[in-house]
Amino acid sequence: MQDGIFALIRLDLIFEIISGIIALVVTFYATKAYNLTGQKKLSDLSTGFLVLSAGMFGRVIGTWYFIIRYGIEGPSSELILSIVTIAYGASRIMAYLLFVVATRPARHRESLNNENMTGVSLLLAATILVDPNLEVIAILVLVLVVIQAIINYFSTRSRFALYVLLGFSLILLSHMLVAQTLVNPGLFLLSQISQLLGYLSLLVMLIKAGRVE
Amino acid sequence: MSRKRAYRSKMRILADMMRAIQSEGEDGAGPTKILYAANLSHDRLTQYLEELVEKKLIKEAELGSDNRIYFLTEKGREFLKEFVRMERFSEAFGIEI
Repeated sequence: MQDGIFALIRLDLIFEIISGIIALVVTFYATKAYNLTGQKKLSDLSTGFLVLSAGMFGRVIGTWYFIIRYGIEGPSSELILSIVTIAYGASRIMAYLLFVVATRPARHRESLNNENMTGVSLLLAATILVDPNLEVIAILVLVLVVIQAIINYFSTRSRFALYVLLGFSLILLSHMLVAQTLVNPGLFLLSQISQLLGYLSLLVMLIKAGRVE
Repeated sequence: MSRKRAYRSKMRILADMMRAIQSEGEDGAGPTKILYAANLSHDRLTQYLEELVEKKLIKEAELGSDNRIYFLTEKGREFLKEFVRMERFSEAFGIEI
């Protein structure tokens, strides 16, 4: 039984590492685009993916160190694991909030960006203070990101925007599946697969967008 | 349904000018062609052309006393490719550049 749980955790961590690497690649691209164009929203996008990948790698290191090394029944592993889980959940919410800001449809000149920063900072601070059910908050924020991705796809009809929409939708699905894990633990691995597919969709977008004839 | 572009960044204007030059291929493009393609005023055009030449993204050739033509350099071609990549990436997330 213990071996089965460890195998599941290992598989989960492998998926998480791949997703984290893809998030880092997106960070790299967004930073490059920001350096070239000076568009502030690209900087927000880059920070969002960086926070996301940091959270993922933090979770991988935390889980590996305390569970794989010391076992589920190991010394104070329950407390450490809950800290890792909360930190991971908060980092994801912060990242999704940054995505909401970055992918918000533009109305006029980008000088507008500064006026919302106070509100964003408060929202970011609030995510650290919020403890109960981070997964539900992540779902609510991610729903906004997906709605903006839908609006963007229908206004541009670009296949690149479609990959982003698919990616964010699969990540949202993964959060919804995680929220159901208490009822059906079998959904946990499915949620990790859904998350991985979401990041792979973003990777496909990067590869296709990088091909210039 | 296409998104209305209310504001063009300087980088996009430079890229539009370089695209206009690239579309003329080996023959190069004259100032009037670039002016219309990039939708610029004459003053802005002169200012940006000087900047592009200074950055070695385009090169200038004089055909006559008051007749100039512009060509894309290798560096300009590479820049334009990179710009297209970043443009696709940004627009995939709904970010206008």
